[in-house]
Amino acid sequence: MSDEGAESARSGVTAPRRLATIMVADIVGYSRLTQADERGTHERVLRIKRELIEPVIGEHGGRVIRQQGDGFLCVFDSPVECVRAAIVIQQNMVARNLELPQDQWIRFRIGINLGDVIVEPDDIYGDGVNVAARLEQLAEPGTIYISGGVYEQIRYKLVCGYQSLGDRKVKNIMDPVPIYRVLPDPAAVAKAATRRWLRVGALMAACLAVLVGAGGWYLWQRQPEQVVIFERPTQATLQPAYQSMPLTGQRRADEAASRPPVEAPAPSAAPSLQAMVVPKPPSETRTTEPDTTGIVGGSFDMGSNDDPTEQPLHKVQIAPFVISKGVVTVGQWRECVQANACSYVPSGDDDAPLSNVSWNDTQQYLKWLNTVTRRQWRLPTEAEWEYAARGGTRTRFWWGDAMKPGVAICKGCGDTKVMKAGTMPANPYGLHINDGVSEWVEDCWVKDYRGAPANGAARIVPDCRERVIRGASSRNDSSYARTASRDFYDASVRYPTHGFRVVTTP
Amino acid sequence: MLTRRLVLPSILLASTSALAGKTPAPSDAYLYFIWPQDGTRIKGAFWCRFGLRNMGVTHAGDSTANMGHHHLFIDVDEPLDGDQPIAQDKKHLHFGAGQTEARIDLPPGPHTLQLVLGDADHVPFNPPVVSKKIKIVVY
Repeated sequence: MSDEGAESARSGVTAPRRLATIMVADIVGYSRLTQADERGTHERVLRIKRELIEPVIGEHGGRVIRQQGDGFLCVFDSPVECVRAAIVIQQNMVARNLELPQDQWIRFRIGINLGDVIVEPDDIYGDGVNVAARLEQLAEPGTIYISGGVYEQIRYKLVCGYQSLGDRKVKNIMDPVPIYRVLPDPAAVAKAATRRWLRVGALMAACLAVLVGAGGWYLWQRQPEQVVIFERPTQATLQPAYQSMPLTGQRRADEAASRPPVEAPAPSAAPSLQAMVVPKPPSETRTTEPDTTGIVGGSFDMGSNDDPTEQPLHKVQIAPFVISKGVVTVGQWRECVQANACSYVPSGDDDAPLSNVSWNDTQQYLKWLNTVTRRQWRLPTEAEWEYAARGGTRTRFWWGDAMKPGVAICKGCGDTKVMKAGTMPANPYGLHINDGVSEWVEDCWVKDYRGAPANGAARIVPDCRERVIRGASSRNDSSYARTASRDFYDASVRYPTHGFRVVTTP
Repeated sequence: MLTRRLVLPSILLASTSALAGKTPAPSDAYLYFIWPQDGTRIKGAFWCRFGLRNMGVTHAGDSTANMGHHHLFIDVDEPLDGDQPIAQDKKHLHFGAGQTEARIDLPPGPHTLQLVLGDADHVPFNPPVVSKKIKIVVY
């Protein structure tokens, strides 16, 4: 510590650097928790830090660098110890939350990266930290996301399940970062492994001798290069298979122009960060990429008994997909108009949700977006939409069974004015689905779910003139904000409250 | 003439609250149900057929003069919001592709049906072109 400080003070240019495992953790919905019960939440978080976080990190040879109210940053020498500590924290939190109602749960998102960092006496800097912070932001509540670099180090050493989420671009980092989700829960491993299209590599079963044998066999069967785990058969332009290489060689600047780098730790680190980032190739248009989140697949009960169109309730299996957090905005659409690829010319502010588009209009946008981003974008299927909208919940709304103020823009819901995309709180998967615009999905309208596909695919019927609309608009009553609610409209017709969001393959 | 008298109150309502659409409609425009008729008892789903005289039916988005598209109000009790696009939900069915009939499947019991003609932007005309609100019973 004192050596490092002295050296940085002396040289001023060559701050000490070293390879470190960085863990960034954050409490999901901390402001919501404090809003509901400020003192209680504060005390609970303090107790968790004192009883759980600090001892666990210490036991695993880590060091807490920074603590905020809702999160912390620590470094470890060993990636194995770091991930172990993260698993202990997450599993302990599950136990702690069990006795509480869901709205009081304290859940961490944890991101772990192995990277070269600049060590200051009381802080660390470097894009290795930024990647960890970004992984943390991508992680679902209660989960641990690790980078490919960490995965390479721990895959044979830590008995766990690892699910590849593909290569993801990280803001301000040049190359896509391979991301893996740590699955300490054997049930989750088994669930992920049974999906035929989901080729889970490096499957090691946590704490289960039976699965350890199976996992070893599985690993034995495959080359390290083949660890790209899931792919959609229709997807021709997948990212290349993940290759084993140091993380520092895989960075790519991402969306630098569109948003400020939220994960930059401090202004003082900015010059050295920029020096490390390879310049962005001028040919690439990144501003158009929507802000997305990865949805891990699974199965769920689709539909409800609240309306005949939502019946029968049926089980649907969903493959992993990547979905835009909000609906497409007026500004995003205007880029397509300016490229002479979209014919509808919207009015309104750039950050307002786009509306008044027909289903046919959305196809123009998707075609253009595919060209400029060189990825395959499409509308969500109806099943994907409901799965993402539910965010793991089974209640009528994603926040519970009754409407409440401040969560949705709809008629009689308290808020009726559509302002800008992302105004209303995000659901547990980080999606804004209540901003006052209802959304086109891929499916043709069929009046109920009899005969609906069970694999999450879109339902396409001959003579498909009407497509499905999901979610409540500002002019719908609260029952339309139920996650199972569905309606339809002529695919060729524009209506002032109809917008859409986009999905792609991980 | 019966229909004209029924339309009159909604015109008065619209003018007093300044809530009329911008698109003019011919004063003799006449919107009506070919089927079902007022008081009909119907078993199960039925084809509802829309009639329009002295105006033409087109698709939404087309602003040709004296043309509009149909909207079917099912069990709507609220007064017509004359200067706003007609709502889009399960009680306000849109026929923006220029349809003049639709298969309607309602739960058993008494229902009301009313047709409202919308302009290119789904806003009622000035004066509003609306049908008589009919009562039917589905059994």
